[in-house]
Amino acid sequence: MSKVVKTKYTAEAQAGFNHRTAMEEAARCLLCHDAPCSEGCPAGTDPGKFIRSIRFRNAKGAAETIRENNVLGGSCARICPYDRLCEEACSRCGIDKPIEIGKLQRYAIEQEKIFKMKTLKAPAKKMKEEVACIGAGPASLACAAELSKAGYKVTVFDREEKAGGVLTYGIVPSRLPQKVVDHDIAQVKGLGVKFVLGKKVVPADIEGFDAVFVGTGLWGAKLPPIEGTDLKGVYPAAEFLKMARTDSAFKPGKKVVVIGGGDVAVDCSVTAKLTGAEDVRIVYRRTLEEAPGNMTEFQYALSMGIGITTNMAPDSVVGTNKVEAMKFKGRTGVTEKSQLTLEADTVVFAIGQGAEDVSDLAPVNVTEKGTIKATAKGKTSGKKFFAGGDIVNGGKTVVEAVASGKEAAASIIEFLQKGVK
Amino acid sequence: MAVKKDLSIKYLGVDCENPFFLSSSPVGGCYDMVAKCFDTGWGGVFFKTIGIFVADECSPRFDQTNKEGTPWLGFKNMEQISDKPTEQNFEYIYKLKKDYPDKVVVASIMGSNDKEWRDLAKMADQAGADLLEGNFSCPQMTSHDMGSDVGTNVELVEAYSRAVSETTNIPFIAKMTPNCKNMEEPARAAIKGGAAAVSAINTIKSITNIDFENNTGMPVVNGKSSISGYSGAAVKPIALRFCAQVLQDKEIQELVKKNGKDYGHGLELSGIGGIETWRDVAEFLAIGCRNIQVTTSIMQYGYRIVEDMASGLMHFMEEKGYDKLDDFIGCALPNIIPAEELNRDFKVFPKFDDNKCVGCGRCYISCYDAAHQAIDWDEKKRRPVLNEDRCVGCQLCLNVCPVPDCITSGEIKWKEGRKETDVTVKQHFE
Repeated sequence: MSKVVKTKYTAEAQAGFNHRTAMEEAARCLLCHDAPCSEGCPAGTDPGKFIRSIRFRNAKGAAETIRENNVLGGSCARICPYDRLCEEACSRCGIDKPIEIGKLQRYAIEQEKIFKMKTLKAPAKKMKEEVACIGAGPASLACAAELSKAGYKVTVFDREEKAGGVLTYGIVPSRLPQKVVDHDIAQVKGLGVKFVLGKKVVPADIEGFDAVFVGTGLWGAKLPPIEGTDLKGVYPAAEFLKMARTDSAFKPGKKVVVIGGGDVAVDCSVTAKLTGAEDVRIVYRRTLEEAPGNMTEFQYALSMGIGITTNMAPDSVVGTNKVEAMKFKGRTGVTEKSQLTLEADTVVFAIGQGAEDVSDLAPVNVTEKGTIKATAKGKTSGKKFFAGGDIVNGGKTVVEAVASGKEAAASIIEFLQKGVK
Repeated sequence: MAVKKDLSIKYLGVDCENPFFLSSSPVGGCYDMVAKCFDTGWGGVFFKTIGIFVADECSPRFDQTNKEGTPWLGFKNMEQISDKPTEQNFEYIYKLKKDYPDKVVVASIMGSNDKEWRDLAKMADQAGADLLEGNFSCPQMTSHDMGSDVGTNVELVEAYSRAVSETTNIPFIAKMTPNCKNMEEPARAAIKGGAAAVSAINTIKSITNIDFENNTGMPVVNGKSSISGYSGAAVKPIALRFCAQVLQDKEIQELVKKNGKDYGHGLELSGIGGIETWRDVAEFLAIGCRNIQVTTSIMQYGYRIVEDMASGLMHFMEEKGYDKLDDFIGCALPNIIPAEELNRDFKVFPKFDDNKCVGCGRCYISCYDAAHQAIDWDEKKRRPVLNEDRCVGCQLCLNVCPVPDCITSGEIKWKEGRKETDVTVKQHFE
């Protein structure tokens, strides 16, 4: 009989490094001349440099390198798809397996916290222009931090009670503990960024700002056009994850079916399992090779006894008033002529999120999907309006949102300095 | 069938089932410990040094150095000689000899004057010790009449060696300190005084780490620390050097013969210093030691390390075609020659295996920053390219490469105007 992982919803899935194990891992690093890992990060983190710092007993220097580049370095250390980014590029792969770069980043940021380091500083002398960032998720936080470091006064608005966006409301805490998110946000606050939370932003709020960044993310419910999605017990992923994180009386149901192939699907399944579901199964319409999720996350789900079924597309949700079963039909290969009915009292669709209408706040052009049309540098069609993160790219990784927030900040600075776009 | 080889050896006329002995230290300080080590397979023990002086120890008393996550590269201890009453220690020795007649018990002794040395020698004789070792080398004694302060004074080494040799016929081994300019002089003095052999090395005076909590060294004793002995893997190269120099000293070899203490092998050195594996043992034997002593690695791992020492040494002998230890003892000594006698007419270029190479560029960095800028870096392919005009054949690149057999010895290039001869080049690196 296989042993499965049993843990608590709020318990961390994986222990971090201590001084000794971090040094052992850093010693495995080949300290490459032209570190390919350092080319692999969308947000420009330089693992070659920070791992060398750890190796030469300079964990504080390592924390500085990470934090100066990425204000959400602590969160990214936990949730980045390393195996497809820096770790995939690692030269050590030629010998055995890549350096655990994410875990070393986590170690360095933990040292930053232990030593109460204040790495990021905003200049005392402020510029006269003020910038508003709408949404307190990764893209906005990254943008706000960059602007603050450059001396601009920044206010972040979010309708939720807590800052962090998807970090706070959309990821299972065993993977990303709230204290890690809060520590990252504390760095942003430490730069003097003002937060206006728990209130929906209205146009009057942002009227007086010289520039506005829209980083509202994707929070619109997205359900497939099939029968039965209006039944009780059917949830879009974001709503399901947010309920688990905010409602202390949250009950996931006994038989939970999660539909999707990304990290969010895994997060939903793990959340269900950790909060008391008896049987949880992920069903993805394509093959595992095609799944956008991180393999280590799928493995974690498997280790908890969560089943994974692939190549079965959702057909209909069955039930009277509430969900009773979920029906799937096969696609290709061995499943081509198959049909599958799973009994379920909860069905979660983790098939991406939809864009919400932002036209009342920002006069910008949008795509037919409702996402904002913006350049790689975050410029939109609206004067003084910039955008980045999921609301532009349609839903990608946190690290890519950070990268776009930084790019947009550079454009905003350029705009404010020149006074033209 | 498991490989079985004869590891027995005669050391100073005493039959030893193998050359693996505990050195005189905390690892062999009472009956129960030594009994356990014998049961585990050690051939003998240099029992923890016995004096008339009974040590008053500090707490804590140990520290270790580490690098890149590897602990115990070196180890520092502040312990002195036995803290048990003199008589009790000799009773242990008596009982060990009675219960383990086939194992070898060496009494390590340390006096602070001529009389004490004679008294201790007499007691060791009465207790039935097979051999005697004079501790002239502990660097952290609280009295300057004992330990390495004596070991660096050739007159005292000779006088106390004589005091022991005149008292008993048990062969006497003088344990040398590395805290000296050269070891040959005190070694000669010991043999002149009547010692049968020497052992080397005791620990090296050290400060291992500075503690910034108390601004002192490690270990911290009430906010202070002292210089004391360093041992373990880090000191092995230094130990091998001293062993080779003492064994190559012609005067010592002649003195051994003249003394009538030659058991058929000239100076019978007992090697000590950082021994942890069968390979370390084989190295000390290859230099010419006929006995080896171990403490630090036992402190870290326990007596059980002797199992792989014995098994590994047998496999080594099988691989090399040796039947007994004497088939290879001293095999490396004649090949350690003065620097001025090395052939300097050629250079060996490195050979890069592009398929094994993982593209880390460490060879490029080290060659540029620390050698002769003889490796160019192909940025596209991420591979090193040798610049033969600049390469001096130092093989720094081979030493930094993290991949086994990626960089090896390549073409031999003769220096301009030098005569080509047959040269031997190392091919296999571990």
